[in-house]
Amino acid sequence: MNFFYLAGLYFVFLKRVFSKPEKQKFYLKNIFTELWNLGISSIGIVAIISFFIGAVITLQTAYNVTSPLFPLYLIGLGTRDSMILEFSSTIVSLILAGKIGSSIAGEIGTMRVTEQIDALETMGVNPASFLVMPKIVAMLVMSPVLNIFSVFIGILGGYITVWATSVIPLNDFLYGVTTEFIPFYVTYSLVKSTVFGFIITSVSAFQGFYVKGGSLEVGRAGTRSVVYSSILILIFNLILTQLLLA
Amino acid sequence: MIEVKDINKSFNEVAVLKKITADFQPGIVNLIIGRSGSGKTVLLKTIVGLHTPDSGDVLFNGRNFFQLNNTNRRYIRREIGMLFQGGALFDWATVEENVRFPLDFFTDWTKKEKEIRVSFCLERVNLLHAAKLMPSELSGGMQKRVAIARAISLNPKYLFCDEPNSGLDPQTSAVIDHLIFEITHEYKITTVVNTHDLNSVLRIGEKIIFIHQGQKWWEGDRNTILTSQNEELRDYLIASEVLIKSGIVK
Repeated sequence: MNFFYLAGLYFVFLKRVFSKPEKQKFYLKNIFTELWNLGISSIGIVAIISFFIGAVITLQTAYNVTSPLFPLYLIGLGTRDSMILEFSSTIVSLILAGKIGSSIAGEIGTMRVTEQIDALETMGVNPASFLVMPKIVAMLVMSPVLNIFSVFIGILGGYITVWATSVIPLNDFLYGVTTEFIPFYVTYSLVKSTVFGFIITSVSAFQGFYVKGGSLEVGRAGTRSVVYSSILILIFNLILTQLLLA
Repeated sequence: MIEVKDINKSFNEVAVLKKITADFQPGIVNLIIGRSGSGKTVLLKTIVGLHTPDSGDVLFNGRNFFQLNNTNRRYIRREIGMLFQGGALFDWATVEENVRFPLDFFTDWTKKEKEIRVSFCLERVNLLHAAKLMPSELSGGMQKRVAIARAISLNPKYLFCDEPNSGLDPQTSAVIDHLIFEITHEYKITTVVNTHDLNSVLRIGEKIIFIHQGQKWWEGDRNTILTSQNEELRDYLIASEVLIKSGIVK
């Protein structure tokens, strides 16, 4: 019962979020602000994590390849495809669910308990649309950008590791990265990261928007937003993989 | 004028408002008083449409708010200014931007016109010098004054104030009360103030409605409240140290 109530409330919330904006200039300005807050400010963490994961994938694959029949270029290929297919879309989204999700839920939840959302409502402004839509739009734009960025940084991490450790010849790694490329993998990855970006922002904003109580509840909403976003990301990862790669 | 007719509201099957009927007159300060938990805030939030009543009507100059569609409700909301208990200033905006927000959103005024209006509103609450500050840099009293400036920026027909003196010292409370009183008379606004501060009641209560356990128990003004024979109201008044100390109530 509670699940169906929440699901229904979530879709009612989305309807409010995507109702026609009144003052489009205002929304555009907010979208640019959120592009910075949610997207550009996440570049650092995405870069650090992607670099090290790319490096570790390369090393682990190299150290586990013991057969002399295994072509070494496959290590580069494996690093590239792992980054594209799973890491840069799913794992980066799970990390962003923690960073951005809790921040959105906290921000909107605080606005709820300090009556700022009531103030907007009383003025005749649609608070769901005004506060949440720019975040969702910004994330829909930035998720694929962060995804592509993560792929490149991950491959760079692998490249620098190979260069520094000489675990395999550099040429083999580079050949692997550039060979047998399947463009649809990029489409698949971009679709996933866009869907996940929508899940992170909408679920977190939903949790913050309906907070009741005080600071304790705002904290709990932040935690719930991370947990629910992460679970939904994993479920949709499975669904999208089956739909797109089957 | 605002008319409230037979308003009922309950939360989780607990009745908070029970058949409340009242009218709030234009150009004067109308007070809703009562103990904490009596239903004052719920009544105020129901009037401004933040809560939907289980039954009953709220009429703004004859327009039945809850029978209007969303677009028409929005038109009424643009005639409303509201001062929330904690000020509810947007913490992402400066004082100046807070006051300008309704103008940016609902008018097609030029930048210059907006600047003049913002300066006027801030001047009216004696906070022109704080225009560039963030809400977090202001004291509680200053935040309330900025919230009043924001509430009057669009020349509202109706002004609602939820516990405007909560958390303020007696002198700042008096400043806020006088400001609300002056603005109401200057612009002929229908003002509804929700308070449990008896000093405010005696200072600005031109029309007073006493709510107890979700029901309206008494209606009058600051001149008649102290002589009322209504038992619940007298119990409520006796709880005020100010009145006891002054010997008005024993």
